[in-house]
Amino acid sequence: MRTVDEAVIDFHRYPPIGPDDWRYGLATARVRCLEAALLSRATLLDMANAASFAAAAELLSGTEYALSGAVDRFGPVEELLLQRRREVRELFISLMLDDPLVELLRARHDFANMRLAIRRIVTDRPVGSGYSDFGSVSPEEFEEAIQQENYNAFPLYLQEAIEEAVLAYYENRDIRAIDYAIDRYEARYRIRTAHEVGSVFLLSFFRVRIDLTNIRTLLRLKAADRMERGLFLPGGFVEVERFIHGLDLGYEGLAPLFYATPYYETVEGGVAYFTAEKSFLRLERLCEEYLFGFLRTTRSITAGPQPIIAYLMFKETEIRMVRMILTAKMNGMDARLILDRLGE
Amino acid sequence: MLENISATRMEQLRLRRRVELAGRGHRLLSQKRDEISRQLVKIAGELRPLRERVEAELLETTRRFMMARATMEPEDMAAAIDVPTKQFALTVQFASIMSVRVPQLTKDIAGEIMCYGFSTTSGELDVALRALERAFDSLIELAAKEKQAMLLATELQSTRRRVNVLEHVVIPNIQETIRYITDKMSEDERDNTSRLMKIADIIRG
Repeated sequence: MRTVDEAVIDFHRYPPIGPDDWRYGLATARVRCLEAALLSRATLLDMANAASFAAAAELLSGTEYALSGAVDRFGPVEELLLQRRREVRELFISLMLDDPLVELLRARHDFANMRLAIRRIVTDRPVGSGYSDFGSVSPEEFEEAIQQENYNAFPLYLQEAIEEAVLAYYENRDIRAIDYAIDRYEARYRIRTAHEVGSVFLLSFFRVRIDLTNIRTLLRLKAADRMERGLFLPGGFVEVERFIHGLDLGYEGLAPLFYATPYYETVEGGVAYFTAEKSFLRLERLCEEYLFGFLRTTRSITAGPQPIIAYLMFKETEIRMVRMILTAKMNGMDARLILDRLGE
Repeated sequence: MLENISATRMEQLRLRRRVELAGRGHRLLSQKRDEISRQLVKIAGELRPLRERVEAELLETTRRFMMARATMEPEDMAAAIDVPTKQFALTVQFASIMSVRVPQLTKDIAGEIMCYGFSTTSGELDVALRALERAFDSLIELAAKEKQAMLLATELQSTRRRVNVLEHVVIPNIQETIRYITDKMSEDERDNTSRLMKIADIIRG
């Protein structure tokens, strides 16, 4: 009998999303209403093709991203986007009935904050600002704990992650080792938590994300002529050995390597675009499209945490897309570049 | 004409030596001016395509960096680039072009420019940073050449001024003074001759 985490692909296009959970009936209904207010693909494409920043912003006038008055710098736009992001996260927390799922969201921010705090602390820089305010631990607490080497006040996942990250850094005094260690621990933690809460959806979601991260890592390592084989995250549907083998292949050999996986089209399109344009825009877009394809399968769920998690992901991505288009428009960048990232 | 000049043969000889020296200086400075002009034209010819290349590279870097920043969460971006691992040192040495000390820049780069993990960062950030890394070489070359051009242009301006001063002020002034002394001495000579002739007539009479 195989374990759940074995790198076996036993699905055709998208992994399973689990059953309904009727406790989430009201929350799911609310999210379904909110989904109708998400920006349509046509709106995003119109924004991308708009003649100017003002014209692109005008298209948002009837939405929650409406900008008041003429905006000639990006500060107010960023502020608005951060406000919308804060709102959607607060909504997620209010809709979630299971604390471990909220903890998963907070953990994401804790890991991001920890990454920044440890990097600053071990290089003797001030802890400073730029942290997410959704984490469960403040940057000052990180500083104090690392200086005293006492992490007992933190949740267990943070204690273990800090120890691994600090240890990894002091092995070679390589700042990147902190990120690699946190990435590895975070992936492990997510899979473990998904098991603990018994969520098939979360397990599938995190494993797909690990696979997509590994695909991007593979191409990025190859583009940088780096042959480090220990940077792939374990726990995905695709075995790590396949990615390691990919490092030894040429670009033309990468797509066939994933022929038997659901990521074939993602890799093929991403690699073709990269070899032609030396850009990861399409690979990132295709990875996102695959992930969203998976998240869209939650539409078959009548009630459950799956649609709420999917909505959070959709909304956060929508905010990023609005930011990308408005940034590009404000700086007079080519619409083709935006469309390459956004998709035609 | 020079002022406070005593019209003596000694002074005339001194001025002749001076005008000869000024002429030699003028010739040398003219040659220096021509050579600096030649060097400047050569550097200026290289500067335009180099500047265009650097501007294109930096524009591309900025464009990709903006795309990366726009598609990443602000906290992830802050964590990714907050503590750089790349160390950059610039050594300045000076070379001499026609006695002008022009800088020659040598870069010393250590470490990896990609100073972050892969999970929370965009591939476009890699591309932007690598493009920036490549742009450094051209940027340093451009900085050195622009500084050289600036120093040479300043030197050319002062050399041209010196040549003009020698050509149009110093040498004509000295030559005029020499002419004045020659005239004055001839006048004295004639005056003396006529005085002697007058004395001789008185003695004979």
